[in-house]
Amino acid sequence: MEKIFTITDETGLHARPATVLVNTASKYSAEITLTYRDKKVNLKSIMGVMSLGIQQGAEITISAEGADAEEAISALTETITTQGLGK
Amino acid sequence: MGIFDSIKNLFNSNPKTEEPKKGICAPITGKLLSITEVPDPVFSQKMMGDGFAIEPTEGKVYSPVAGKVLNVFPTKHAVALESNDGHEILIHFGMDTVALKGEGFTAHVAEGDTVTPDTLLLSVDLDAVRPKVPSLVTPVVFTNLGEKVIDLKKTGPVTHGEVSILEIK
Repeated sequence: MEKIFTITDETGLHARPATVLVNTASKYSAEITLTYRDKKVNLKSIMGVMSLGIQQGAEITISAEGADAEEAISALTETITTQGLGK
Repeated sequence: MGIFDSIKNLFNSNPKTEEPKKGICAPITGKLLSITEVPDPVFSQKMMGDGFAIEPTEGKVYSPVAGKVLNVFPTKHAVALESNDGHEILIHFGMDTVALKGEGFTAHVAEGDTVTPDTLLLSVDLDAVRPKVPSLVTPVVFTNLGEKVIDLKKTGPVTHGEVSILEIK
C-alpha cells in the first residue's frame, strides 16, 4: 500500500525530519520506500532519504509492503502530520 | 647521514605518510569535540549515527575521506559522502543552517564527484553565517556503522587534513 504526502516543513526533509521518519519506519518489519521525482529510496536509510534533497512543496510517495505495512503507513502518517513535516 | 641515505629515507617515509589517507582525517580547522557536545539531540543522542564534531575557526570544509559525493543538499549546508571503504558520512555545517537556504555557502562539488582528503567541498562565510544561527558546531556523522562505534583519539584544536583523530571499532 502507498500514500502520497506534500511536504510543508519549510526546511524540507533534512537532518531532523529525515531522522524522525527513518526512526519511525525502522520500527516496522515491512519494506518501506520513499519515492520522489522517480527516485526511490529505502525509508529506513537516513542517507537515502537525505540524498533526495526534498524541499518544501515536494510531493512524495511512501510505500510499504509486508505484514505490518498498514500499521507502518498509519504511524508514518501520524509522524508526518504531528511533526508538521507534511500533509 | 649522506645524501643517499636522505633520499632513501625520503622514499621509505612516503608510504607512512600516504597510508593514513585511507582513513578518516579532520575535515575542518577548528576545535574537535565529541558528538555528544553538539547542541541538538538529533546529533548528540546519535539518532543519525555515531561521529564527531568540529567547532570551525575557518570556513573551509574538506573531504575527510577518499570516496565520492552522494549528495549536496540544495541549501549547501550539508554534504553526504561515501568513502571507498563503504562508510556513509554526513557533514552538517552548523545548527539550523538549513534555514539560511544557501546564503553564505558555496559548494565546490556535486553529486557523483570523486573526492580525496584534499578536496574542498564547501566554503562558508563564517562572519555572515555566525550571527544567524544558534551554533557553528558541525557534526560529522557516520550513518551506516551498524553496531560499530567511533573512538575519538583526541579533542581540542585540530587542523583540516589531520589524521589519526579517530578509530572505528
